[in-house]
Amino acid sequence: MIEIANVSYSYSGNTALKDINLHIKKGEAVSLLGANGSGKSTLLKLINGIISPDSGSYRFNNEDVTHKKLQDISFSKLFHQKIGFVFQNSDTQLFCADVYDEIAFGPRQMGINEDAVEKRVYDCLTLLDITDLKHRQPYHLSGGEKRKVAIACVLALNPEVLVIDEPMNGLDPRTQRWLVEFLVKLNGAGKTLITSTHNLELAQAISRRAVLFSEDHTLAADLPTDKLLTEIDILKRVNLVDEYYHRHDGNNHAHFHMHNFQL
Amino acid sequence: MPEWLLKDENYIPQSDKDAFITKSIHALLGLLSRIRAQSVHEDDGFRTNAVLKVAFTFMLVMLVSITKSFTFVIIIDVYLLVILSMMKGEEIFRVLKTSLFMSAFTFVILLPAAFLGNLFSGIMITSKVFTTVTAVNIISHSTRWNSITSALKRFFVPDIFILVTDITIKYIVMLGGFSLNMLYSLKLRSVGKNNKKYKSLSGIPGTMFIKSKEMAEDMYSAMECRGFTGEYRVVNRFRFTPADFIYIIINIGIAVIFLYMERV
Repeated sequence: MIEIANVSYSYSGNTALKDINLHIKKGEAVSLLGANGSGKSTLLKLINGIISPDSGSYRFNNEDVTHKKLQDISFSKLFHQKIGFVFQNSDTQLFCADVYDEIAFGPRQMGINEDAVEKRVYDCLTLLDITDLKHRQPYHLSGGEKRKVAIACVLALNPEVLVIDEPMNGLDPRTQRWLVEFLVKLNGAGKTLITSTHNLELAQAISRRAVLFSEDHTLAADLPTDKLLTEIDILKRVNLVDEYYHRHDGNNHAHFHMHNFQL
Repeated sequence: MPEWLLKDENYIPQSDKDAFITKSIHALLGLLSRIRAQSVHEDDGFRTNAVLKVAFTFMLVMLVSITKSFTFVIIIDVYLLVILSMMKGEEIFRVLKTSLFMSAFTFVILLPAAFLGNLFSGIMITSKVFTTVTAVNIISHSTRWNSITSALKRFFVPDIFILVTDITIKYIVMLGGFSLNMLYSLKLRSVGKNNKKYKSLSGIPGTMFIKSKEMAEDMYSAMECRGFTGEYRVVNRFRFTPADFIYIIINIGIAVIFLYMERV
């Protein structure tokens, strides 16, 4: 479904991705793991066609996705319908007057009749448990509510792939648990799921496969998530595990500590 | 799960014109990359002090504005082009693009005067515009903005004005990045025919206004928590280097040439 071969990308001379190779099959749930600034978000932007690679190739459903092709409005619109992107900051994703219009924005453009649009909107509202918010203005919602509305907006397009950048950013523990269950359910329903995170617990909960970025912007590992979490040396090398020096019962000692994960 | 979500969407997009989103993205990207490049690059390779650069650029603009000698303007043009040739290709292109565009615009405005017999004035004013715009652009491309704003301290500009200028530049970048992501989001979600595209676009400035208001309130609270009482002190350390000495000599030379030319 998604084939990325030898892709490199840089921002004004600063390397963000270096020789990345990645194949993702339909229905997979993949977590992109890595320290801050390792290139996870850049890869997500590339997968969504916001940026194009400096070198290498990107294919989606056996079709090349290039800068030139994305200039073709029909191709671009169909491509964006098939891949939905939930931004790290939900505020940037919400620009309509109320939550109902926000969710209806995509389906209305797809030429779906208003009754079907209404059904989709209510289905999404129910699915994300935000029916009470339908007439609220998006900018007055809490962080968790905004994230749910942002996901609903993207889901209403019925994309084949759902890409979420740092899904747990700024969410309280209850909303985090709810979101994990929801994403697992969505993947179980056949949606391909790609998430970027440095939260190892989340990666284990929502994905069977983990792709690990190293700080030199290359891929350090591409393994089943459970297996990757046992590879302490690799995780240490990419700065996702560090030695934690502390005191227990009057004794000082150190052991390795994974962020948001219990060893 | 609703049934429609379990099936693949059989969708063929209708044609629609939304080049305005792409154009807005490109314009914003250009502005942001320019500001970012400005803030990360080292001050020019000549290592001259920003205070001197601001002072002598001001002097240069004044001299070029009041001179009646076309030769003086040409000498300054040559001097500026020599400085420009030591900059990066991309910067040379940007500086010359702006200067040539502004000169061409001035020349078009002055064309009626040229047709009425004042050709020399037309050429003189156009040359002066080219020189002054190039001089200002060179300092803008070779000096970090925070160096320029802190250099203003030496010219008795109030500290609070410098603080406000610095904050303004910072928030142009932050809000610019935010609005860029909103435009990306609008583009990604514009998957078909949108008959109310300008209404959708108008949601972006509305959200930006609310965001900027929130950011301004947060920053004011943060400043108060850090003890801000309305006074701000900018520290500008002046270190004199051999490059500064050479730069002063060159500019004294320019002033001498100006006086000589005006005397002739």
